[in-house]
Amino acid sequence: MHIDLKREIKESGAGKTGLIILLLMIAIALAAPILAPYDPYQQSTASLLSPSWSHWLGTNHVGQDIWSRLVFGARTSLLVGFGVGILATLLGTLFGVSAALVGGFYEKVVMRIVDAFIVIPMVIVIILISAYIRPGILTLILLLSLLSWQGGARIMRAQALSLKERGHVAAAKSFGANRFYLAWRHIVPDLGPILLVEFIYGVRRAVFMEAGLAFLGISDPTVVSWGMMMRDALSFSYLNVWQWWLVPTGVALSLIIIGLAFIGHAAEPVIEPRLRGVAIA
Amino acid sequence: MTKEVLNLVPKLLIPAVIVVVLLAFPSCTAGTPEVSSYTIADSTGDWGYPSPYAHYSRGPGYVRMSFIFETLVWKDTSGFVPQLAEEWEYIAEENAYIFELRNDVTWHDGTKFTADDVVFTFDYTQQHPYQWVDNSIVESAEAIDEYTIKLYLSKNYAPFFQDIAGVQPILPRHIWEGIEEPEKFAAPEAVIGTGPYLLADNSKEHGSYLYKAYEDYYLGTPIVDEIKFVRVSEEMIPAALQEGSIDAGDIPPEVVSEMEEAGLAVITAPVAWNAKLTINHHQDPLSSRQFRQALAYAIDREALVQITQRGHALAGSPGMIPPTSGWYNPDTPQYEYDPAQAIRLLEELGYELEDGYFTKDGEVLELELLATADFKEVGQFIKQQLEEAGIKIDFRTLEAKTVDTKVEAWDFDLAVYGHGGLYEPSFLKTVIIDEGFKSARYTSNETLNQLIEAQLTEMDADQRAELIFHIQEVYAQDLPALTLYYPKWYWAHDGTVNLFYTMDGIAIGIPIPLNRMAFVE
Amino acid sequence: MFSKRNLITYAIAFVFILLLNFLLPRMMPGDPLMAIYGDEALIAMTPELEAELVERFALDQPLWQQLGAYFVALFQGELGYSYYYNAPVLSVILGRLPWTLLLVGTSLLLSTMLGIVLGIESGWRRGSRTDRTLLAGLMSLNGFPDFFLGMLLLIAFGVVLGVFPLAGALTPYSGLSGLALLWDVLRHLFLPVAALTLAHLGSSYLLTRNTMITVLKEPYMLTAKAKGLSPRLLKYRHAGRNSMLPVVTQTGIWMGRVVTGTLFVELVFAYPGIGYLTYEALLARDYPIIQGVFLMVAISVLAANFLIDLSYPKLDPRVSYAY
Repeated sequence: MHIDLKREIKESGAGKTGLIILLLMIAIALAAPILAPYDPYQQSTASLLSPSWSHWLGTNHVGQDIWSRLVFGARTSLLVGFGVGILATLLGTLFGVSAALVGGFYEKVVMRIVDAFIVIPMVIVIILISAYIRPGILTLILLLSLLSWQGGARIMRAQALSLKERGHVAAAKSFGANRFYLAWRHIVPDLGPILLVEFIYGVRRAVFMEAGLAFLGISDPTVVSWGMMMRDALSFSYLNVWQWWLVPTGVALSLIIIGLAFIGHAAEPVIEPRLRGVAIA
Repeated sequence: MTKEVLNLVPKLLIPAVIVVVLLAFPSCTAGTPEVSSYTIADSTGDWGYPSPYAHYSRGPGYVRMSFIFETLVWKDTSGFVPQLAEEWEYIAEENAYIFELRNDVTWHDGTKFTADDVVFTFDYTQQHPYQWVDNSIVESAEAIDEYTIKLYLSKNYAPFFQDIAGVQPILPRHIWEGIEEPEKFAAPEAVIGTGPYLLADNSKEHGSYLYKAYEDYYLGTPIVDEIKFVRVSEEMIPAALQEGSIDAGDIPPEVVSEMEEAGLAVITAPVAWNAKLTINHHQDPLSSRQFRQALAYAIDREALVQITQRGHALAGSPGMIPPTSGWYNPDTPQYEYDPAQAIRLLEELGYELEDGYFTKDGEVLELELLATADFKEVGQFIKQQLEEAGIKIDFRTLEAKTVDTKVEAWDFDLAVYGHGGLYEPSFLKTVIIDEGFKSARYTSNETLNQLIEAQLTEMDADQRAELIFHIQEVYAQDLPALTLYYPKWYWAHDGTVNLFYTMDGIAIGIPIPLNRMAFVE
Repeated sequence: MFSKRNLITYAIAFVFILLLNFLLPRMMPGDPLMAIYGDEALIAMTPELEAELVERFALDQPLWQQLGAYFVALFQGELGYSYYYNAPVLSVILGRLPWTLLLVGTSLLLSTMLGIVLGIESGWRRGSRTDRTLLAGLMSLNGFPDFFLGMLLLIAFGVVLGVFPLAGALTPYSGLSGLALLWDVLRHLFLPVAALTLAHLGSSYLLTRNTMITVLKEPYMLTAKAKGLSPRLLKYRHAGRNSMLPVVTQTGIWMGRVVTGTLFVELVFAYPGIGYLTYEALLARDYPIIQGVFLMVAISVLAANFLIDLSYPKLDPRVSYAY
């Protein structure tokens, strides 16, 4: 019954495109120090310049090189994105699988909490909290993870429940396997594909949230963030600078989100096989 | 039949000609508005209901109220001018002012304005202080006759006109007598004043105000029939000015030449505000004067202005008072950028350079710099400069409230702050000696303390100037806080109304070119 | 896939929201009264008022008693007083609400309807070039954050081309009325609605398309086709109706997202709704307003979800049998 996720993604046109975009972004983020000709924090009097050979995307209002800030901004987006993705997926799996395996009162409590958090609009909660404590990167990752793991938990639990009834699990159980063994060796491996899809959507949500919060001006302004760059660019929209300040940044942000969305889309038939052209036996 | 008609024609013709003549030629009745509507934009829009107790406590809030309510004296481009008071006299022996009031002023509801209203205002504000005026110095107010009042002060107060007589809006007794909660008084009567305009409409959510000319204004019907205040976001004001949907507004410095090319008039505000580096001089190592001086040498304020303000500001003077002010002492020590000197001073204090940073007794010299997000570029710049001079800086941006709390509790090293009110030197007391996080709270120099107190009560202008010059020197030597820069502010308008910047700002020092007198001929 | 959430769930969510509102200002450094009322209060409050508020909120008492006082005040409908706006929070919020409702309502309606139609058509033609183009196009569009779309539209149509107004909901004091006023409002509404609609079009489209694909494989569709029904009937009467269900149930969750999307769009266009109010309050750190809006929005979203959950059995009769 193993579904080859990698094959799913590679064979889909959207999946391929998304993967390429994502890998490109990761490469840029990792290679930022090499790609950036200037220190993204270095201010200078050369402010609001148009693109030229020395400044590929011109400079911003305090003379910082926009291209350098663009590539370093990729780090922030990906760091927060993947950080939240990993943490949220971890928490979701932990609570979802344990709820399925333990059952009883524990399961009821966990699922009630999960459902409660799903209805609460996360963005507003984050904004409220950020209004009180301006979160640094780590705090932000923690906060976003704590408020977004619930969606995945539901799906994990549903999967774990159905997997619980499978032959190999029942067999292991009859041989005396305890819950941890069952979870670790039998259930979690088969959760693989779904875990990945949840992870990808989690990353996507987090990238958007980080940019949005920076745009509102309630995240750490000493960190280079695409959202913050767009906010700064907005206040100069009466000049021509938006063309090389706002647009590339917005496009870069959109590209990451689109790339992740494409990958997620390609992987969806894993969860919902009917979406594929061929029905699974 | 025809004959009667023909007879009628001459009888009709003459009145017809008269009517046509009257319609064709502009009316000769005094005070017909020349401009029917004038739109002013600002990016916040809502500054509160324009009654004295309801407007928000920032400059634009006062300005909107000032079109409706008037003061005893007012100002134009060169100094104090009569308003509700025609003449005044200071009686030194009694420490009292006598004001002769105009006898032709009416409130918007038709009631006559008399000395009673002024006396009432000063009495009422003893229990319900007006947010911008500290009337405690006025011991009593007395009506000598129907149009003369006498105000007794409890002690000498040099800035009486700038701080009180030119700021306090006079309230109509017949309306405010008996109002226990003036802040909540929002009935239409709450905006009945003597000023040239009436409030016709005000919308909080749209941030808009509509003012209509008061036709029986004592100086004649205002030039502009209708003034509209609207909200337009900062970035869009230049575009709105160019397309003509607004007639005046504050503009960012970058578009000044563009505006002028488009045929708009651009005016510059005299320096009104400063950004400064607040220093915690209560604890080591900042308690050492020499250390603070080293900081001043290490920060290139000229470069700060060029880089973080793109040249649209004046470099700060360590004496705090800006070079454009009449009170400026040109001999104030300036601490020209000299990082080598900064390093020398620090070495004299016992610090040694190790791997680029100063250390003492094995510990690296590190200071914490706080700022709000608006000052992130400034903070970043200072961090770079101080680190180049060998001082490690931990730069953190925090919420305004958090910074305020920490500074108030002396739980900080360095912080970037800003405040206005730079026109009248009485602010020197507020920001050097007084309590509060915007103040340097520096009281350890007795000479400085005495000078500051003395200038407040020195009624002779020249003597006072001497004191203030001296203050700048002493302050610049001690440097309890370092003034970083004074931003330049600009307004653009279409020229139909001759907007100007009031000398030393409107009332207490508001650097906005919306003086109600510009709208009256 | 859509379980019915029972009352306890909503109760938990509600309590969490209230607790958050309660705890945050009290965890801030400094004077909690100032944390509750914000910066402006520092200037405006008289000592008597301070004393009264400290007593009312039991700020000098242990946390338990404070919690009690907080709930009492809340259930009296007291959302607090904003010192920055010099008015009760509730009245400030209610004044701005209509504009947000106009904005959110219009764009939610447009994006959902358009998304459903496109989703149905796309799902029907699954695999064709139309489908693939629509899919790629809308998924890409979906990736654009709403504030970016808003900014692009504003700059392109407002600044560069100058065909739409640059800010606000209408031209103040223009003296317009009737049809002219309506036209003015619509002109100001156009760009913000366009931004919001475009940003959220993808969600309803994708969901509808997915559901459509699933539904099309159902046996009853084969039957209908065999009966010789026209494509239009097949698409909309049979498949479409069932594909719509998930969208309707998701609307509750989307409402939360669209409302926050409104925050960004209103900010870009200076549109005087709740979103812009929140932004202003954030700048001024006017905590009573921030909390008031938060409470209102969170509870509305909860209520909307609850209502949709209640009506779901009516929409999908299969579900009601399960209960």
